Amino acid sequence: MAQVSVKPESFEMVFYDAAVIGEVVSDVAGRLGVDEAITVDIDEASPLGRSKILSYDPIDLWVDGGAFEDTRRPRQFGQSRSRDTIGRLLLRVLDRRSGRFDDAPTDEELDLVQFAAWDVHSVGRLERLGIGGQRKRRLYQFRNRHGFTDVADAAFDELWGSSELSWSEIERISESCRS
Amino acid sequence: MRKIFPAEELARDSRFIRQTNEQRLNDPRGARVAGGNTSENLAKLTPELPNGPDRARALMHGIFVGEIQALEGAGRTCWDFEIGDEVPLALKMDMARQCWDEARHCEISISLAEHMGTELGEYAENGLLYEASCNPDPVLRLTGVNRALEGLAIDVFNTMKEFGNMAGDPVLEFCEDWMLADEVTHVKMGSDWLRRLTQNDKERLDKALEFQKVVDRLFSFNGFRGEDDDSPIQLTRRFRELAGFTDDEIDEIADMSRDARAEATA
Repeated sequence: MAQVSVKPESFEMVFYDAAVIGEVVSDVAGRLGVDEAITVDIDEASPLGRSKILSYDPIDLWVDGGAFEDTRRPRQFGQSRSRDTIGRLLLRVLDRRSGRFDDAPTDEELDLVQFAAWDVHSVGRLERLGIGGQRKRRLYQFRNRHGFTDVADAAFDELWGSSELSWSEIERISESCRS
Repeated sequence: MRKIFPAEELARDSRFIRQTNEQRLNDPRGARVAGGNTSENLAKLTPELPNGPDRARALMHGIFVGEIQALEGAGRTCWDFEIGDEVPLALKMDMARQCWDEARHCEISISLAEHMGTELGEYAENGLLYEASCNPDPVLRLTGVNRALEGLAIDVFNTMKEFGNMAGDPVLEFCEDWMLADEVTHVKMGSDWLRRLTQNDKERLDKALEFQKVVDRLFSFNGFRGEDDDSPIQLTRRFRELAGFTDDEIDEIADMSRDARAEATA
Protein backbone atom coordinates (compact mmCIF):
# COMPACT_ATOMS: atom_id res chain seq x y z
CA MET A 1 0.00 0.00 0.00
CA ALA A 2 1.28 3.45 -0.92
CA GLN A 3 2.37 5.73 1.92
CA VAL A 4 0.59 9.03 1.28
CA SER A 5 1.59 12.36 2.74
CA VAL A 6 -0.91 15.21 2.36
CA LYS A 7 0.07 18.87 2.77
CA PRO A 8 -1.31 20.80 4.52
CA GLU A 9 -2.42 18.52 7.33
CA SER A 10 -5.43 20.70 8.12
CA PHE A 11 -7.47 23.14 6.05
CA GLU A 12 -8.81 26.62 6.81
CA MET A 13 -10.62 27.66 3.63
CA VAL A 14 -12.20 24.38 2.55
CA PHE A 15 -13.82 21.55 4.47
CA TYR A 16 -11.29 18.86 3.54
CA ASP A 17 -9.86 16.15 5.73
CA ALA A 18 -6.24 15.18 5.04
CA ALA A 19 -6.86 11.63 6.30
CA VAL A 20 -9.76 11.13 3.88
CA ILE A 21 -7.70 12.53 1.01
CA GLY A 22 -4.86 10.18 1.94
CA GLU A 23 -7.23 7.21 1.82
CA VAL A 24 -8.54 8.19 -1.62
CA VAL A 25 -5.05 8.68 -3.03
CA SER A 26 -3.90 5.40 -1.50
CA ASP A 27 -6.89 3.55 -2.99
CA VAL A 28 -6.32 4.97 -6.48
CA ALA A 29 -2.60 4.21 -6.25
CA GLY A 30 -3.37 0.65 -5.16
CA ARG A 31 -5.71 0.08 -8.10
CA LEU A 32 -3.02 1.34 -10.47
CA GLY A 33 -0.33 -0.79 -8.86
CA VAL A 34 1.65 2.11 -7.41
CA ASP A 35 3.20 0.91 -4.17
CA GLU A 36 5.51 3.68 -3.04
CA ALA A 37 5.50 6.97 -1.15
CA ILE A 38 3.34 9.73 -2.63
CA THR A 39 3.22 13.36 -1.53
CA VAL A 40 0.23 15.52 -2.42
CA ASP A 41 0.52 19.30 -2.05
CA ILE A 42 -2.83 21.12 -2.07
CA ASP A 43 -3.26 24.85 -2.60
CA GLU A 44 -6.51 25.23 -0.70
CA ALA A 45 -6.75 28.94 -1.57
CA SER A 46 -7.30 28.18 -5.24
CA PRO A 47 -10.73 26.97 -6.41
CA LEU A 48 -9.32 26.26 -9.88
CA GLY A 49 -8.75 22.71 -11.04
CA ARG A 50 -5.10 22.69 -12.08
CA SER A 51 -2.72 19.87 -11.21
CA LYS A 52 0.85 18.90 -11.98
CA ILE A 53 3.61 16.48 -11.14
CA LEU A 54 6.35 18.21 -9.16
CA SER A 55 8.54 15.13 -9.04
CA TYR A 56 8.35 11.73 -10.73
CA ASP A 57 10.71 9.99 -8.35
CA PRO A 58 9.79 10.24 -5.56
CA ILE A 59 6.21 10.98 -6.59
CA ASP A 60 5.22 14.49 -5.56
CA LEU A 61 1.92 15.84 -6.88
CA TRP A 62 0.52 19.37 -6.68
CA VAL A 63 -3.12 20.35 -7.08
CA ASP A 64 -5.38 23.37 -6.75
CA GLY A 65 -7.92 22.82 -4.01
CA GLY A 66 -10.59 23.05 -6.71
CA ALA A 67 -9.24 19.87 -8.32
CA PHE A 68 -10.53 17.97 -5.27
CA GLU A 69 -13.76 19.92 -4.87
CA ASP A 70 -17.33 18.68 -5.19
CA THR A 71 -18.75 21.04 -7.82
CA ARG A 72 -22.24 20.47 -6.40
CA ARG A 73 -21.13 21.53 -2.94
CA PRO A 74 -18.51 24.29 -3.10
CA ARG A 75 -15.70 24.00 -0.52
CA GLN A 76 -16.59 20.34 0.17
CA PHE A 77 -14.33 17.44 -0.79
CA GLY A 78 -15.41 15.58 -3.94
CA GLN A 79 -14.32 11.94 -4.15
CA SER A 80 -14.94 11.31 -7.84
CA ARG A 81 -13.20 14.50 -8.98
CA SER A 82 -10.24 13.72 -6.73
CA ARG A 83 -9.98 10.18 -8.03
CA ASP A 84 -10.00 11.48 -11.60
CA THR A 85 -7.27 14.04 -10.83
CA ILE A 86 -5.02 11.64 -8.94
CA GLY A 87 -5.63 8.84 -11.43
CA ARG A 88 -4.57 10.97 -14.39
CA LEU A 89 -1.41 12.15 -12.64
CA LEU A 90 -0.39 8.67 -11.52
CA LEU A 91 -1.05 7.20 -14.97
CA ARG A 92 1.22 9.86 -16.42
CA VAL A 93 3.91 8.80 -13.97
CA LEU A 94 3.44 5.15 -14.97
CA ASP A 95 3.38 6.01 -18.68
CA ARG A 96 6.65 7.91 -18.45
CA ARG A 97 8.25 5.07 -16.53
CA SER A 98 7.08 2.47 -19.05
CA GLY A 99 9.60 3.29 -21.75
CA ARG A 100 6.76 3.96 -24.21
CA PHE A 101 6.93 7.70 -23.50
CA ASP A 102 10.68 8.28 -23.62
CA ASP A 103 10.26 10.52 -26.65
CA ALA A 104 7.44 12.58 -25.10
CA PRO A 105 8.08 16.27 -24.39
CA THR A 106 8.49 17.25 -20.75
CA ASP A 107 5.31 18.32 -18.94
CA GLU A 108 6.37 21.96 -19.30
CA GLU A 109 6.76 21.51 -23.06
CA LEU A 110 3.41 19.79 -23.67
CA ASP A 111 0.84 22.07 -25.25
CA LEU A 112 -2.91 22.06 -24.58
CA VAL A 113 -3.62 19.86 -27.62
CA GLN A 114 -1.10 17.22 -26.52
CA PHE A 115 -2.34 17.30 -22.93
CA ALA A 116 -5.92 16.84 -24.13
CA ALA A 117 -4.98 13.78 -26.21
CA TRP A 118 -2.95 12.17 -23.40
CA ASP A 119 -5.71 12.90 -20.87
CA VAL A 120 -8.29 11.17 -23.08
CA HIS A 121 -6.11 8.07 -23.22
CA SER A 122 -5.61 8.22 -19.45
CA VAL A 123 -9.25 8.79 -18.47
CA GLY A 124 -10.43 6.06 -20.84
CA ARG A 125 -8.18 3.61 -18.99
CA LEU A 126 -9.30 4.96 -15.62
CA GLU A 127 -12.93 4.42 -16.54
CA ARG A 128 -12.28 0.79 -17.38
CA LEU A 129 -10.59 0.40 -14.00
CA GLY A 130 -13.62 1.93 -12.28
CA ILE A 131 -11.67 4.97 -11.12
CA GLY A 132 -12.78 7.86 -13.32
CA GLY A 133 -15.11 8.67 -16.16
CA GLN A 134 -16.98 11.66 -17.60
CA ARG A 135 -16.47 10.52 -21.17
CA LYS A 136 -18.57 13.32 -22.66
CA ARG A 137 -16.71 15.98 -20.70
CA ARG A 138 -13.44 14.66 -22.10
CA LEU A 139 -14.92 14.51 -25.60
CA TYR A 140 -15.90 18.17 -25.33
CA GLN A 141 -12.39 19.14 -24.20
CA PHE A 142 -10.88 17.05 -26.97
CA ARG A 143 -13.12 18.66 -29.60
CA ASN A 144 -12.14 22.11 -28.34
CA ARG A 145 -8.50 21.25 -28.99
CA HIS A 146 -8.87 19.10 -32.12
CA GLY A 147 -12.00 20.35 -33.83
CA PHE A 148 -15.69 19.55 -33.86
CA THR A 149 -15.46 17.01 -36.68
CA ASP A 150 -16.22 13.34 -37.29
CA VAL A 151 -12.48 12.74 -37.80
CA ALA A 152 -11.73 14.18 -34.36
CA ASP A 153 -14.48 12.07 -32.80
CA ALA A 154 -13.01 8.93 -34.35
CA ALA A 155 -9.58 9.88 -33.00
CA PHE A 156 -11.12 10.40 -29.58
CA ASP A 157 -12.69 6.92 -29.68
CA GLU A 158 -9.33 5.38 -30.56
CA LEU A 159 -7.51 7.18 -27.74
CA TRP A 160 -10.26 6.41 -25.24
CA GLY A 161 -10.60 2.74 -26.11
CA SER A 162 -6.94 1.76 -26.46
CA SER A 163 -5.21 0.03 -23.58
CA GLU A 164 -1.54 1.00 -23.73
CA LEU A 165 -0.56 3.44 -26.43
CA SER A 166 2.92 4.87 -26.78
CA TRP A 167 3.60 8.60 -27.00
CA SER A 168 4.28 8.37 -30.74
CA GLU A 169 0.92 6.63 -31.24
CA ILE A 170 -0.89 9.32 -29.24
CA GLU A 171 0.83 12.02 -31.26
CA ARG A 172 -0.04 10.29 -34.55
CA ILE A 173 -3.71 10.02 -33.62
CA SER A 174 -3.84 13.59 -32.34
CA GLU A 175 -2.09 15.04 -35.38
CA SER A 176 -4.40 13.18 -37.74
CA CYS A 177 -7.33 15.34 -36.76
CA ARG A 178 -5.94 18.70 -35.66
CA SER A 179 -7.91 21.49 -37.27
CA MET B 1 -52.70 29.54 -4.89
CA ARG B 2 -50.47 31.82 -2.86
CA LYS B 3 -48.79 34.89 -4.25
CA ILE B 4 -45.06 35.71 -4.03
CA PHE B 5 -43.80 32.14 -3.82
CA PRO B 6 -40.66 31.95 -1.60
CA ALA B 7 -37.36 31.14 -3.32
CA GLU B 8 -36.39 28.48 -0.82
CA GLU B 9 -39.50 26.45 -1.69
CA LEU B 10 -38.91 26.16 -5.42
CA ALA B 11 -39.37 22.57 -6.54
CA ARG B 12 -36.15 20.78 -7.44
CA ASP B 13 -35.32 17.09 -7.56
CA SER B 14 -32.41 15.51 -5.72
CA ARG B 15 -29.93 16.31 -8.50
CA PHE B 16 -29.98 19.99 -7.63
CA ILE B 17 -28.18 21.54 -4.66
CA ARG B 18 -28.73 25.18 -3.78
CA GLN B 19 -25.93 27.50 -2.71
CA THR B 20 -27.16 30.61 -0.92
CA ASN B 21 -25.83 34.05 -1.77
CA GLU B 22 -24.35 34.19 1.72
CA GLN B 23 -22.40 30.98 1.11
CA ARG B 24 -21.26 32.18 -2.30
CA LEU B 25 -20.15 35.62 -1.17
CA ASN B 26 -18.51 34.33 2.00
CA ASP B 27 -16.28 31.83 0.21
CA PRO B 28 -12.83 32.93 1.42
CA ARG B 29 -11.35 31.90 -1.93
CA GLY B 30 -13.51 34.46 -3.76
CA ALA B 31 -17.10 34.33 -4.97
CA ARG B 32 -17.97 32.02 -7.83
CA VAL B 33 -19.58 33.84 -10.70
CA ALA B 34 -20.30 33.02 -14.33
CA GLY B 35 -18.28 29.83 -14.48
CA GLY B 36 -15.17 31.34 -12.97
CA ASN B 37 -13.93 32.76 -9.75
CA THR B 38 -13.29 36.32 -8.68
CA SER B 39 -9.92 35.37 -7.22
CA GLU B 40 -8.59 34.28 -10.62
CA ASN B 41 -6.44 36.52 -12.72
CA LEU B 42 -8.94 38.04 -15.08
CA ALA B 43 -9.01 36.64 -18.58
CA LYS B 44 -11.65 36.69 -21.27
CA LEU B 45 -13.39 33.32 -21.55
CA THR B 46 -11.92 31.68 -24.65
CA PRO B 47 -11.14 28.09 -25.70
CA GLU B 48 -7.43 28.96 -25.56
CA LEU B 49 -7.47 29.16 -21.76
CA PRO B 50 -6.27 25.90 -20.17
CA ASN B 51 -9.55 25.67 -18.25
CA GLY B 52 -11.62 27.35 -20.99
CA PRO B 53 -13.77 24.32 -21.92
CA ASP B 54 -14.49 23.50 -18.27
CA ARG B 55 -15.35 27.12 -17.47
CA ALA B 56 -17.70 27.16 -20.45
CA ARG B 57 -19.35 24.00 -19.12
CA ALA B 58 -19.83 25.56 -15.69
CA LEU B 59 -21.18 28.76 -17.23
CA MET B 60 -23.58 26.76 -19.40
CA HIS B 61 -24.92 25.05 -16.31
CA GLY B 62 -25.38 28.47 -14.69
CA ILE B 63 -27.31 29.56 -17.77
CA PHE B 64 -29.49 26.46 -17.53
CA VAL B 65 -30.52 27.04 -13.90
CA GLY B 66 -30.97 30.73 -14.73
CA GLU B 67 -33.43 29.75 -17.46
CA ILE B 68 -35.41 27.59 -15.04
CA GLN B 69 -35.62 30.48 -12.57
CA ALA B 70 -36.47 32.97 -15.33
CA LEU B 71 -39.36 30.71 -16.33
CA GLU B 72 -40.49 30.47 -12.72
CA GLY B 73 -40.14 34.24 -12.24
CA ALA B 74 -42.03 35.23 -15.40
CA GLY B 75 -44.71 32.68 -14.53
CA ARG B 76 -45.11 34.16 -11.06
CA THR B 77 -45.37 37.67 -12.51
CA CYS B 78 -48.32 36.47 -14.59
CA TRP B 79 -50.03 35.35 -11.37
CA ASP B 80 -48.83 37.58 -8.55
CA PHE B 81 -50.41 40.87 -9.71
CA GLU B 82 -54.00 41.90 -10.41
CA ILE B 83 -54.90 43.17 -13.88
CA GLY B 84 -55.92 46.80 -13.78
CA ASP B 85 -55.02 47.66 -10.19
CA GLU B 86 -51.41 46.58 -10.38
CA VAL B 87 -50.46 45.77 -13.98
CA PRO B 88 -52.02 46.03 -17.43
CA LEU B 89 -53.07 42.87 -19.26
CA ALA B 90 -50.45 43.57 -21.91
CA LEU B 91 -47.69 43.22 -19.32
CA LYS B 92 -48.99 39.78 -18.36
CA MET B 93 -49.14 38.84 -22.03
CA ASP B 94 -45.49 39.84 -22.37
CA MET B 95 -44.63 37.69 -19.34
CA ALA B 96 -46.59 34.77 -20.81
CA ARG B 97 -44.61 35.10 -24.03
CA GLN B 98 -41.42 35.21 -21.97
CA CYS B 99 -42.44 31.98 -20.22
CA TRP B 100 -42.68 30.31 -23.62
CA ASP B 101 -39.20 31.62 -24.52
CA GLU B 102 -37.68 30.54 -21.19
CA ALA B 103 -39.19 27.05 -21.46
CA ARG B 104 -37.61 26.73 -24.90
CA HIS B 105 -34.30 28.03 -23.51
CA CYS B 106 -34.42 25.39 -20.76
CA GLU B 107 -34.70 22.67 -23.39
CA ILE B 108 -31.93 24.19 -25.50
CA SER B 109 -29.72 24.53 -22.40
CA ILE B 110 -30.28 20.90 -21.47
CA SER B 111 -29.25 19.85 -24.97
CA LEU B 112 -26.20 22.11 -24.84
CA ALA B 113 -25.21 20.71 -21.44
CA GLU B 114 -25.41 17.23 -22.91
CA HIS B 115 -23.35 18.41 -25.89
CA MET B 116 -20.68 19.80 -23.53
CA GLY B 117 -20.59 16.74 -21.30
CA THR B 118 -22.29 18.29 -18.28
CA GLU B 119 -24.78 16.48 -16.07
CA LEU B 120 -27.82 18.36 -14.80
CA GLY B 121 -27.08 19.37 -11.23
CA GLU B 122 -23.32 18.96 -11.69
CA TYR B 123 -22.78 22.45 -10.27
CA ALA B 124 -24.43 24.20 -7.33
CA GLU B 125 -27.47 26.33 -8.10
CA ASN B 126 -27.66 29.94 -6.96
CA GLY B 127 -31.17 31.35 -6.61
CA LEU B 128 -30.45 35.04 -7.11
CA LEU B 129 -32.49 35.41 -10.29
CA TYR B 130 -35.66 34.04 -8.76
CA GLU B 131 -35.06 36.00 -5.56
CA ALA B 132 -35.11 39.20 -7.62
CA SER B 133 -38.41 37.92 -9.03
CA CYS B 134 -39.96 38.04 -5.57
CA ASN B 135 -40.02 41.83 -5.37
CA PRO B 136 -43.60 42.82 -4.52
CA ASP B 137 -43.55 45.86 -6.82
CA PRO B 138 -44.00 44.73 -10.45
CA VAL B 139 -41.93 47.65 -11.73
CA LEU B 140 -39.00 46.83 -9.46
CA ARG B 141 -39.37 43.15 -10.31
CA LEU B 142 -39.24 43.74 -14.06
CA THR B 143 -36.37 46.19 -13.68
CA GLY B 144 -34.30 43.82 -11.53
CA VAL B 145 -35.03 40.74 -13.59
CA ASN B 146 -35.57 41.92 -17.16
CA ARG B 147 -33.10 44.77 -17.23
CA ALA B 148 -30.37 43.74 -14.77
CA LEU B 149 -30.38 39.93 -14.96
CA GLU B 150 -31.62 39.46 -18.51
CA GLY B 151 -29.18 42.24 -19.39
CA LEU B 152 -26.45 40.12 -17.88
CA ALA B 153 -27.80 37.24 -19.96
CA ILE B 154 -27.18 39.31 -23.10
CA ASP B 155 -23.54 39.70 -22.09
CA VAL B 156 -23.19 36.02 -21.14
CA PHE B 157 -24.87 34.66 -24.28
CA ASN B 158 -22.79 36.87 -26.51
CA THR B 159 -19.62 35.70 -24.71
CA MET B 160 -20.69 32.07 -25.14
CA LYS B 161 -21.60 32.64 -28.78
CA GLU B 162 -18.10 34.02 -29.38
CA PHE B 163 -16.62 31.08 -27.46
CA GLY B 164 -18.46 28.68 -29.81
CA ASN B 165 -17.28 30.62 -32.83
CA MET B 166 -13.64 30.56 -31.68
CA ALA B 167 -13.81 26.84 -30.84
CA GLY B 168 -15.37 26.02 -34.21
CA ASP B 169 -18.44 24.67 -32.42
CA PRO B 170 -21.45 25.60 -34.58
CA VAL B 171 -23.94 23.97 -32.19
CA LEU B 172 -22.98 26.24 -29.31
CA GLU B 173 -22.58 29.31 -31.50
CA PHE B 174 -25.98 29.09 -33.19
CA CYS B 175 -27.93 28.07 -30.08
CA GLU B 176 -26.50 31.01 -28.15
CA ASP B 177 -27.27 33.35 -31.03
CA TRP B 178 -30.92 32.27 -31.09
CA MET B 179 -31.29 32.65 -27.33
CA LEU B 180 -29.49 35.99 -27.44
CA ALA B 181 -32.17 37.32 -29.81
CA ASP B 182 -34.86 36.40 -27.27
CA GLU B 183 -32.91 37.98 -24.40
CA VAL B 184 -32.72 41.29 -26.25
CA THR B 185 -36.51 41.16 -26.53
CA HIS B 186 -36.89 40.39 -22.81
CA VAL B 187 -34.67 43.29 -21.82
CA LYS B 188 -36.54 45.55 -24.20
CA MET B 189 -39.81 44.52 -22.55
CA GLY B 190 -38.31 45.45 -19.17
CA SER B 191 -37.13 48.82 -20.50
CA ASP B 192 -40.49 49.58 -22.11
CA TRP B 193 -42.58 48.66 -19.07
CA LEU B 194 -40.28 50.56 -16.74
CA ARG B 195 -40.85 53.73 -18.72
CA ARG B 196 -44.59 53.22 -19.25
CA LEU B 197 -45.44 52.34 -15.66
CA THR B 198 -43.39 55.14 -14.14
CA GLN B 199 -44.28 57.82 -16.67
CA ASN B 200 -45.80 60.03 -13.96
CA ASP B 201 -44.00 58.59 -10.96
CA LYS B 202 -40.42 59.79 -10.71
CA GLU B 203 -39.97 58.36 -7.21
CA ARG B 204 -40.94 54.86 -8.34
CA LEU B 205 -38.67 55.13 -11.38
CA ASP B 206 -35.74 56.09 -9.17
CA LYS B 207 -36.43 53.21 -6.79
CA ALA B 208 -36.60 50.76 -9.70
CA LEU B 209 -33.32 51.98 -11.18
CA GLU B 210 -31.69 51.78 -7.76
CA PHE B 211 -32.89 48.18 -7.41
CA GLN B 212 -31.42 47.45 -10.84
CA LYS B 213 -28.08 48.88 -9.71
CA VAL B 214 -28.09 46.67 -6.61
CA VAL B 215 -28.60 43.59 -8.79
CA ASP B 216 -26.06 44.74 -11.39
CA ARG B 217 -23.50 45.35 -8.66
CA LEU B 218 -23.80 41.72 -7.56
CA PHE B 219 -22.42 40.66 -10.94
CA SER B 220 -19.65 43.19 -11.20
CA PHE B 221 -17.23 41.66 -8.67
CA ASN B 222 -13.67 42.45 -9.46
CA GLY B 223 -14.57 43.66 -12.95
CA PHE B 224 -15.80 40.23 -13.91
CA ARG B 225 -18.35 41.60 -16.37
CA GLY B 226 -17.04 44.67 -18.17
CA GLU B 227 -15.65 46.27 -21.30
CA ASP B 228 -11.96 45.67 -20.67
CA ASP B 229 -10.23 43.15 -22.95
CA ASP B 230 -9.59 40.79 -20.06
CA SER B 231 -13.11 40.91 -18.59
CA PRO B 232 -14.27 37.27 -18.60
CA ILE B 233 -17.78 38.32 -19.55
CA GLN B 234 -17.84 41.13 -22.08
CA LEU B 235 -20.35 43.95 -21.70
CA THR B 236 -22.24 43.94 -25.00
CA ARG B 237 -22.94 47.55 -25.88
CA ARG B 238 -24.71 47.09 -29.22
CA PHE B 239 -27.26 44.52 -28.04
CA ARG B 240 -27.97 46.56 -24.91
CA GLU B 241 -28.71 49.58 -27.09
CA LEU B 242 -31.18 47.47 -29.06
CA ALA B 243 -32.77 46.44 -25.76
CA GLY B 244 -33.53 50.02 -24.74
CA PHE B 245 -30.46 50.95 -22.68
CA THR B 246 -29.19 54.50 -23.15
CA ASP B 247 -25.48 55.18 -23.63
CA ASP B 248 -25.37 56.70 -20.15
CA GLU B 249 -26.87 53.56 -18.62
CA ILE B 250 -24.34 51.32 -20.38
CA ASP B 251 -21.51 53.64 -19.34
CA GLU B 252 -22.72 53.36 -15.77
CA ILE B 253 -22.52 49.55 -15.82
CA ALA B 254 -19.05 49.69 -17.37
CA ASP B 255 -17.95 52.19 -14.69
CA MET B 256 -19.43 49.98 -11.97
CA SER B 257 -17.28 47.11 -13.21
CA ARG B 258 -14.12 49.24 -13.31
CA ASP B 259 -14.82 50.54 -9.81
CA ALA B 260 -15.32 47.01 -8.54
CA ARG B 261 -12.00 45.96 -10.03
CA ALA B 262 -10.20 48.97 -8.58
CA GLU B 263 -11.75 48.23 -5.20
CA ALA B 264 -10.65 44.59 -5.37
CA THR B 265 -7.07 45.44 -6.27
CA ALA B 266 -6.72 48.38 -3.84
